[in-house]
Amino acid sequence: MRTENQRAWFFVLPVLLLVAFNALVPIITVVNYSVQETFGNNVFFWQGLDWFEQILRSDRFHAALGRQFLFTFLILIIEVPLGIVVALSMPRKGFWVPICLVTMALPMLIPWNVVGSMWNIFTLPNIGLLGYFMNDVLGINYDMTQQPFSAWVTIVVMDVWHWTSLVVLLSYAGLVSIPDAYYQAAKIDGASPWKVFRYIQLPKMKTVLTIAVLLRFMDSFNIYTEPFVLTGGGPGNSTTLLSIDLVKIALGQFDLGPAAAMSLIYFAITLLVSWLFYTLMTKDDAK
Amino acid sequence: MRPLILIFALLHTNAALAQGWGNVAKQQEDKGFSWTDPLWPSFWMAWTPATFALFCGLFGAIAVIGILEGVRYRDGLERKGILGLTTTLGDRLFISLLGTAYIFLAWLGLVGQPLWWPLAIAVAWGIFVFRKV
Repeated sequence: MRTENQRAWFFVLPVLLLVAFNALVPIITVVNYSVQETFGNNVFFWQGLDWFEQILRSDRFHAALGRQFLFTFLILIIEVPLGIVVALSMPRKGFWVPICLVTMALPMLIPWNVVGSMWNIFTLPNIGLLGYFMNDVLGINYDMTQQPFSAWVTIVVMDVWHWTSLVVLLSYAGLVSIPDAYYQAAKIDGASPWKVFRYIQLPKMKTVLTIAVLLRFMDSFNIYTEPFVLTGGGPGNSTTLLSIDLVKIALGQFDLGPAAAMSLIYFAITLLVSWLFYTLMTKDDAK
Repeated sequence: MRPLILIFALLHTNAALAQGWGNVAKQQEDKGFSWTDPLWPSFWMAWTPATFALFCGLFGAIAVIGILEGVRYRDGLERKGILGLTTTLGDRLFISLLGTAYIFLAWLGLVGQPLWWPLAIAVAWGIFVFRKV
């Protein structure tokens, strides 16, 4: 007996074709590149798995990977709690709701390279507003073009400024979907604000928070444009994250084989961590 | 120092050396089928028979599991395995493939080539995942 309408597949077909051409074909090509060496001109020489071995054992890759994990860890540990706190303190109804929402959405509307340029001009030690304020008014020695620590603080603060809104908006969407009856029941029982948050608001926000954490993980793990425009991976190599290093190898040195191998390892890490996050966070729901 | 760099530079072009600089621009003889030669030299995706076989296996596995889930086992043989995860056939295929990739990468990074041992480990891992997870 046939109960399902299989014709629905035809409506998915355009998406499948699109995905095939913008994701599948490039990934397959990268796999093919990763086991060969080329000097250009579409001529390839078989290399086997040498590139993978070379990348996996290179200190340069380990260092970039370490920096990438540190960056993503800092981003998640700051943005997720901060986003929840901001969402909790936003008004639920009234005149200020649209103003808060638009203000929150503004940073996300700015193109990534513009964010990088803005923060670059903002933080330059002599001419930037923040740079001038830190050095000449507060007397703090701050120069993100020379000091690795300042550069790190700047890229982390920039990402927090740019993307905390995403966590805020998603958490807010979860919060406003909670019916008033829950709060009334909590009030009758005399629940403390912490208990209300722990047993009513947090469980209701769980689904959207899962999506927020996943999106923020993938975005920050694959981040390229903003740190590249802001610091260019410097000073030295101190803010050279994985994607910046990858582009240096692929387009700077034109080592397509090692770059392909590195991007596949990169892809495997992103895939595994995303899968782990998703599986662990949705484990209790699927019963 | 400079001769060393030169030697390294030459070593790096061993693929070209294998062909021999004396043979540059000469017509190549047909050496018969090789798994590692370019498959379609004028096409742009840099295919070789080896990677072609890899993708045939990969998409073949996805197709077999897809047909099994679509026709034979409509519930995908869903169960709660020893890792505490609720998995279907497709999930198990994903876990075994991802695990296989990591087994090979770990072996390459920690031990090196050849890869017969990790192949055995990966097969064992796949059987374990499909039986128990």
